[in-house]
Parts: sequence; structure tokens; C-alpha cells
Amino acid sequence: VQNAKDTFYEVLRSRLVALNSYRTIVLRGVVRPGVLVEENELISAVDLPDCFRLRWAVMSVDAKCALPMVTFECAIDYETAGTAMNGGMDRGRALAAMDAELQSAGNATQRSSPKMNYAGLANGLAPVAMNTSIWWGEVAFGKTVIKDDRLARTATVVVMSYQEAGEL
Amino acid sequence: VNDVTGMMAPMVGNVSAYFAPVNRVAGQATIFDAAQSGAFALNNPPAPWIGLGWIDGFARKCGTKIESVRTGAPSTTTFQARTEIEATVSFSFESWGKLQLALAAGTQQMNLLQVSTGSTPEGSGGAAVTAIVLQAGTTASVLQVGSAAATFVVGELVAVDVDYLTQIGFVGSGVSGAYVQSVLSDVDYVRRVTLNVGRIASIAMNGTAGSITLECPLVAGMPSANMKVSGVAGFCDREGSSFFQEWSAVFVGEGQQGERIIWHYPRLQAMSGVAETNLSGIGGYEKVQLSAAFRALPVIDPVDGQTVVCFRSYVASL
Repeated sequence: VQNAKDTFYEVLRSRLVALNSYRTIVLRGVVRPGVLVEENELISAVDLPDCFRLRWAVMSVDAKCALPMVTFECAIDYETAGTAMNGGMDRGRALAAMDAELQSAGNATQRSSPKMNYAGLANGLAPVAMNTSIWWGEVAFGKTVIKDDRLARTATVVVMSYQEAGEL
Repeated sequence: VNDVTGMMAPMVGNVSAYFAPVNRVAGQATIFDAAQSGAFALNNPPAPWIGLGWIDGFARKCGTKIESVRTGAPSTTTFQARTEIEATVSFSFESWGKLQLALAAGTQQMNLLQVSTGSTPEGSGGAAVTAIVLQAGTTASVLQVGSAAATFVVGELVAVDVDYLTQIGFVGSGVSGAYVQSVLSDVDYVRRVTLNVGRIASIAMNGTAGSITLECPLVAGMPSANMKVSGVAGFCDREGSSFFQEWSAVFVGEGQQGERIIWHYPRLQAMSGVAETNLSGIGGYEKVQLSAAFRALPVIDPVDGQTVVCFRSYVASL
């Protein structure tokens, strides 16, 4: 399951970077693309604005297949206050830009990717391609939520993968 | 074959449709060889296949009847025999275009030729303006029309085909668009039913020399010297008439592990009239999809001489 989660994050991140390389965040002192997986970061009381925060939610397994098929719902939270230069009056446009980036990245014609094992990265090894691919459904966009001076939205996407033999 | 995914049922999201002309005069279908071309890029099918986009509600039905031959008392089945071979396929097109409309119409589909001023109103278009003669240097994508280029506008549709000169039988260049049973009087009739249609991408004028460039090459390829160009205002389907559209078809369902299911019908003949499927949309709107249904006709597979109506190929991922 972890390999599927990591692979989806990597694919989504690379697509979002290709669409808008200027969307960056500073996290733990490092400038990086504006997309993160919440469970991989330090717990924070503050929601980072102007970036996509992935949160893995409901999971189910269809064990009737020759390989168990794992379905995981990924919630993607994002919010923005617009820019200070415009006094926040562009927060609607900024949210629309994030909607468009996520729509384009998530709903591209190719909604599958080879599953990769990134476990070796900790030891300086390259990711390893596995035998199956992950795939995902269309991105579903939730309603606009007003959070003080910010506009926020949660989009969801269902990610599917086969659990390969020996995979944890 | 990937030994891990080779055993999994394909998970197919969208099905893509590709059609190719059947030579109606020679009775020759276009054959798709999945062994040679099964891995083609879905947005770039091998010639002469034409991609018609995604389809919705793809449904195949097998009507083949298998009867048992019983003998003895009490009777028991001694052997079985196929007494009828039948297959149908139906779906809705996700996009609208000339070919989608023609296939969904089932019969000849009319190009609404630009009418001359004061012509008598007709259901499928009144008397057309005089067609433009093609000049030397014309290709499948660039039509040399001289100073007449100024009479067209970018984005306009044009029909390119020969004059009707009392021909009987199948008419239409590249693809048979209709079957003429008795002599007609309309010199533009072939251009009315032809599928040799394109949309103007650009117009070039240089004095009396003018040309129009099409967005895509014409289905029939380079026009012959006796073809002419007519402007097209739109398309018209009619319920009725006797002609049946017949095409070769390939449908591709791509699995998520790189595998493909390819359904190939060498001869599909329309078995429904003009109808649409209205899907409820948001805000009180309805999405209107073109519905099509076809009956598969037989071909002989030269590999073993068997009569078949369709082929289903599974192209495994590597």
C-alpha cells in the first residue's frame, strides 16, 4: 500500500511542478514544490496555504482478485488567502488557479503509472519499478469553504493498486 | 507477458472507437491486424483508420444460436451445431463530428450545402451555389481554388467531390456515402452525401491565386481533377431512405496495466435510425449524445476459411 501512496504522490507532484513550477513552499527550511503528504510531515497546528496537502483517508481491499486490489481515497486539501499585494482580493482567482492545476494534473488522459518502490531512497538507492501499475479515478472537487481570510477546498481522488506478493 | 498482471481482469476506463471505409463496390472490408498494430498509439491510429474519440455505453451482444442434435431414446445430445451467427454492437459517441453523425444516422447523411439566393426551401438543403473547380497543385490538405478563395471563411466546412452526372450505384469518394437507385437531376448530389469533408484552417490569397488549407487531410486523399468544392453550412440526418452505412470498426479498451482488449468488426452495418441519448446534466441541461447501433456482417478469415463476424484480441502488457 505504501508504494502505491508514494507513487501517486510522486506522479501528482511532478505533474503539478510541470504545470506551475513557481508554486513552492518552505518546509523545514527547504524550498520544495507546493505539494506534500501530511502524514509524512511534522504535525502542525497551521495549515500551509497555497499548496496541496494530501491526506490518505478511506481504504478498502477487494481480496477476491488473484492479487488483492487496494482502493484508497486521497483527500487533497488546499487553501489560499490570495496575495498581500492585492489585499487578498484575488483569493478567488488564486483558488481557481489551484483548481485548474489540480484538475489538469489529476484528470489528464493518462491516469495510471508504474508502481515504484522508494524504500531504497533512505540508503541512497534509486527507486525500483514494480510489476504492476497504480491507477486512479477522476478528481472530485468539494465546495468552497471560507476559513477566516482564506478560501479552502478539499478534492478527493480514488487511487487503486494491486497488492503484489510480498509487498507490505 | 507480465506473469503478475497477465492473470488480472482488465480494468478499462474509456473505450476508443476507430472506423475505416469498406469498399462497397468491391465488397472489401478494411482488416485490422492486432498482431501487427495492436500497440498503436491511441491518438494516432494506423492508416486508413480514423479515430472518432471515446464512446459511452459500449455494449456487444452475441446472437449466435447453438442447437443441440439429439438422438436415441431417451434422447441425449449427440453433438451441437451453430445454426445462426449474429453479433450486434451499440454505443454513444462522446463527441460530435461529420463521421460520428453519419455513423449514427445509419443511412446517407446530407451535407447542407450553401444555398444560392432565392432557392426553394428543401428539408435537406435547397439548390446549392455553383461549386468551385479545383486547380492544379491541389493536395489532400490544400485546395487551390483561385480567386474563389475569397468566398470562403476560416472555420467553414467544405465538401469536395465530383459532380453528379447520372451515375447509378454507390457514390462518394473515399467512402461510399449513398447508393443511387435511379437517375437524379441534382448536379451537387454527390457533394451532398460525400464524407470527403474538411474544415478550413487558413486561407491564402495572392492576386488571383488563392488556396484554402484544411485542418485535416481529406478522407479520399488527393482530389482528382474533376472534383469541385462546395461550402457546407452543416449536416442533416434523415429518418428513412434505403441506404445502409457500412464501415470497418475497431474498438480499444485499455487496461491499467498496459494490456488492451481490441474488438474488431470488419463489416458493421447500421441497424438503427436517427436517435440521441440525452444524459441529465447539472443546471437543468441535458448532454445530447449520438447513439449508434450496428449489426456485424461476415467475412472469411483466410487463415482457416471460417466465416466470422468479429474478432476480440487481447494484447498483453510487456
